[in-house]
Amino acid sequence: MDLHVPAGSAFGLIGPNGAGKTTFIKSVLGIVRPTAGTVRVLGGSPEDPAIRARIGYLPERLHLPGTWKSPAFLATVARLKGLKPDAAAHARLLERVGLADAVDRRIGGYSKGMRQRLGLAAALLGDPALLVLDEPTDGIDPMGRLEVRRILQEEVQKGVTLFLNSHLLAETERVCDRVAILADGRVLREGRLEELAKAGARWRVRFAPGADRAALEAAGFMAVADPARGARPGGDARADMAPASGGREDGVYTVDAADVAVLNAALDRARASGALLMELRREGADLEAVLVGAVGGGPGVAA
Amino acid sequence: MDSRGRRRVWLVGALLLFAGGAVLMFTGQGDTPAAEAPDVEFPRRMKGSDLERAEKRRTWVMPAVVDAGVAAPVKPRDPLLAALPRGPGRTAVVIEANALRYSPVGELLMDCLLRDGGKNLEQFKAMSGVDPLQDLDRLVVTDEGVILSGDFSKAKYQELLGERVSSDYGAGARVYEPGDTTFALPDGGTQRGRMDTSVGTWNNQMLVFGKSPDSVKTVLDRMDGRGQEEGPPLLDENSTYGEMYGVLAVETLAKLLGPGQEELARRLTDVAQNVELHLDTSGDVAMVANVTGLDAEKMTDLGKSLGGALSMARMKAQAEGKEDLAQLLDFAKVRPDGSSFKLELAVPLATLQEQLAWCREERQAAERARSTP
Amino acid sequence: MKSPVFVIAGYVLREAASRKFIMAFMVGLTLVLATVALSLKLEVVDGALAATRLFGEVMRSNIMSVDVALRPIYRAAAYLVFYGGILFGIVACSDFAPGLLSPGRIEHLLALPLQRWHLLAGTFLGVMTLALGGTVYAAGGLTLIFGVKTGYWTAGPLIAGGLACVGFAAVYAVMLTTATLVRSAALCSAAGFVLLVGGILAGFRADVSRYLESGFGRTAFDAVTLVLPRLSALASRAADLASSTPMEKGSLGMLLGGVLVFGLGALSVGFWHFEGKDC
Repeated sequence: MDLHVPAGSAFGLIGPNGAGKTTFIKSVLGIVRPTAGTVRVLGGSPEDPAIRARIGYLPERLHLPGTWKSPAFLATVARLKGLKPDAAAHARLLERVGLADAVDRRIGGYSKGMRQRLGLAAALLGDPALLVLDEPTDGIDPMGRLEVRRILQEEVQKGVTLFLNSHLLAETERVCDRVAILADGRVLREGRLEELAKAGARWRVRFAPGADRAALEAAGFMAVADPARGARPGGDARADMAPASGGREDGVYTVDAADVAVLNAALDRARASGALLMELRREGADLEAVLVGAVGGGPGVAA
Repeated sequence: MDSRGRRRVWLVGALLLFAGGAVLMFTGQGDTPAAEAPDVEFPRRMKGSDLERAEKRRTWVMPAVVDAGVAAPVKPRDPLLAALPRGPGRTAVVIEANALRYSPVGELLMDCLLRDGGKNLEQFKAMSGVDPLQDLDRLVVTDEGVILSGDFSKAKYQELLGERVSSDYGAGARVYEPGDTTFALPDGGTQRGRMDTSVGTWNNQMLVFGKSPDSVKTVLDRMDGRGQEEGPPLLDENSTYGEMYGVLAVETLAKLLGPGQEELARRLTDVAQNVELHLDTSGDVAMVANVTGLDAEKMTDLGKSLGGALSMARMKAQAEGKEDLAQLLDFAKVRPDGSSFKLELAVPLATLQEQLAWCREERQAAERARSTP
Repeated sequence: MKSPVFVIAGYVLREAASRKFIMAFMVGLTLVLATVALSLKLEVVDGALAATRLFGEVMRSNIMSVDVALRPIYRAAAYLVFYGGILFGIVACSDFAPGLLSPGRIEHLLALPLQRWHLLAGTFLGVMTLALGGTVYAAGGLTLIFGVKTGYWTAGPLIAGGLACVGFAAVYAVMLTTATLVRSAALCSAAGFVLLVGGILAGFRADVSRYLESGFGRTAFDAVTLVLPRLSALASRAADLASSTPMEKGSLGMLLGGVLVFGLGALSVGFWHFEGKDC
C-alpha cells in the first residue's frame, strides 16, 4: 500500500474490520516491521527514536498502570520521551483534556473515557509534529467527544499532522480533511473528503399527499421507493429511506438537477401538475456512503 | 545500525557470553567433586572400639579370699586402672601410646621422633631391649610417678638395673630402689648414670617409676588388690575413651591456665572439684575436659567466665596474627550441664600436618643419608 | 538526561511498590526481624556468647566465641536468603515482564523514543534493584540485630546477599527472555524454577555425573550443566562468606563472574528475540 499524508493535514483512516488499519498504524510507529517495503515518517524511519520522539500516539486499547495517579504517569511518559517532567505543564495538559478534577485519583478508578483522555494527554506531551490516534473518543461521552474534537482541531490548527483511526465515521468526517479507505491491506480510495463525498446533482423532495405520481415522473422526479434507484445496498436502510411501496405514500422523490435553474424548472413543472412542495434537501454522499461505495457493503463493514 | 544488524550483535554477543560464562564457572569452581569436610569428633563417650579395648584389658583376677567357704565370683579387671591413685585432688593421665602411635597425628609425631632417621630409637632398643613402638601400650603420668604398660618380657632388667638394691614384692613383682644404672653403648662401651627414681616391675607387663620404693610399692599393692581402699580409682573403665584421658586436680589445671588468668584460676580452684580430660586423635585432635563441681550456679558462672577467657584469647591470637592458636580456639566451646560443664578444644588434622611437615622432610632426608653409604 | 533504562526501571519499581504481596512480604520480613530483635536476649561475656534467651526461655546452648556461635545462624540465613529469595523472586517478579509486554502497554512504550532493548534492560534493572533492596533489608536487618546484641559486626551476610542477587540475576534473565517468547507469568515462573533446579544440579555436576551411566546421557548432562549457572556452588560460597568460614577451593570471583556472564548471555538472547518481534 502507498499512502501519502500531507504535513499539517487531519487524515482519517477508515475501513472494515480486519482491513489492517491498526497494523498500518503500528508499522508507521515501528512497532510492527513491514515484511516488504519501507515506511517513512516525518522524513525518517520510524525505527529511529528521534523520529518517534516527534510522534504522539494513542493506542486503541491503552493499558494504564491502575495504581498510579495521572501526574505520575505523565511524568514517566515525559521522561521516556526524553523530556524534563514539568508538573505545571502536565497539570495544564490534564486540565485541557478534562481531567483536572481527577489528578488525585488512582488511574484504576478512572472510567474508560477518562483513560482515553489521559492517553490523549500522554500523546500530546512534548508537542508532537504528528499525532497518531487510534480510536481516541472510544468510551468518551458525547460532551467529551466534543471536547476532544476541539482539542484535535486546535492541534491541527497549530500545524500538527493528525492521523486518525476511528470507527465513528461522523467524527472522522468532522475532524479530518483527508481520508483513506483501507480494505484487505490495500488503499481503496484516498483523497480530500469533499472529493470523495463529491456532492451530487441530486435533490430529495417531499410533496404533500395526493401528488400525481405520473405527472411528477413526467417532470423528471423519481419515487425513492424504486429499489433500483433509491434504497441503500446491504439492507442498511435508514428510517427516512422509504421502502419500495412508501414512495407513493410519503411522496418522497428525487430529482437530478445540474444547477439551481434546472431544479427550479423541475419544481415549477411539479407544482404545475398540482403537487405541493413540503421539503427540499440536497442529497450528498456522506462518508458512510463513500465507505460502502468503496468497499462494496455487506456484514462487517465498519471503521 | 538497523534492527537486523542489532539482532546479529545480540545473538553473537549471547553466544560469546554463554561460552565465557562456562569458562569462568569451570575455572572458578573446578570440576573435581568437593571433599566432604568431616566434623570434628569430640571424645564425649565410650565408642564400640573403646569398649572392646577395655574388655580385653580385664586380664587380672584378684586372688579370691578363701575363708567362709563361699567364694564370691571375682570380676576380672584392668590392673593399670586399679593402680591409679584414689581420692580427690589427685592427678592421673593415661596416654594410649599404641593407639596414638597408629593414629594420623601419631604418624606425624613419629616423623618428628624419628627425624634423625631412627638412630636414637635404635640405640634405645639396643640398650633397654624394649621397642617403644612395638612393646609399649600405655603410659600413665600421675602425681606419684609414671606407669608404663605393655610387653616388657624382652627388657634388659639385669643390665639396666642389676646394680641396684632390689627385692621381690608379691607374685611376679619386683621393686628396685634408686641407684646407679649402667647403659651399654652401641660401640661396645658402657655409660654409668644415677637415677633417683625407684622402679617396680609387674609380670613383665608393667613398669612403675616412683619417687621412693614405698610409693612404687603402693602402686603395686593397688595393682594386686592389696591396698587400702580410699575410694574408687580416679578413672573407671567407662572413662577410658580417647587416645589420652585422665583426671587432673583442679590445682594442676589452674597452674596450666598461665599468667594473666589468676582470677579464673582462683575461681576454678574454689568452685570446681574435678576435671576429667579426654583427647581423641583418631581424626582431628579433639579434647574434652569435663569440669565438675557442687554448686550448679557457680559452675555455670565459671563456665561463662572460661568461655569468655577462651573468646578473648582467640581474639587476641587473631589480632596478634597467631593463626595456629586462633584456629585451635576456633573450636573452643563450653557446654554447660548443671553442676558440670564440658570444655571442648580441637585442632584440625590438616593444621597439624601443615605445622609438622618439616619433621617428615627431615626424617626422609635423614633416612636417605643413612641408606647412602 | 535520565537514560530510558533507568526510567523503565523506575516504572517497574513503582509497579512493584503497588503490589500487595510484595508489600506484605516486606511487612512480614519486618515483623520477623522485629520479633527476633525483641524476643532474643543474648548474654555476651568477653566476646563469648554465654547464654541465649528466646521469649524469656533459656536455651540450652554452648558457650563459645560470638562469631563462632553465630556461624550456623548466618549460614542458615545465607541459604534462606539465597534459595528463599530466588524462589520468592521467581514467583513475585514473574508477571512484571509479561505485564509490560501486554497489549495496550507495549505498543505505547514501543512508540516512545526508546530502543527495544531499553525496555528489557530497564525491567531487568528494576527487578534487580528490587531484589537487592529486599536482600539488603533482610541481611542488613539480621546483621544489625545480632551486631547490636552481641557487638560482633560482620559484612558477611550482606556480601552473601549480594551473591544471592547475582544468582537471581541469572534466573531472572532467563525469565525475562521467556517473557519475550511467551507472554505468560506462569511460564516465566516455570522457566525460572527449571533454571534454579538446573543451577543446583550444575553446582554438583561432578558428583551427579558420576552416578550417570557413561554414554550420551552423561555427555549431554555434562554439556548442559557446563553452561548453566552453578547456583548451588554460589549458595555454598555465600554461606561460607556469611559465616566467615574458609571457602571451598576455587575462585569466587570467577564463579561469580561466570554466573553473571551467563545472566547477561540470557539477557542478550532476550534482546535478540525482542528486537525482531512484532508486537
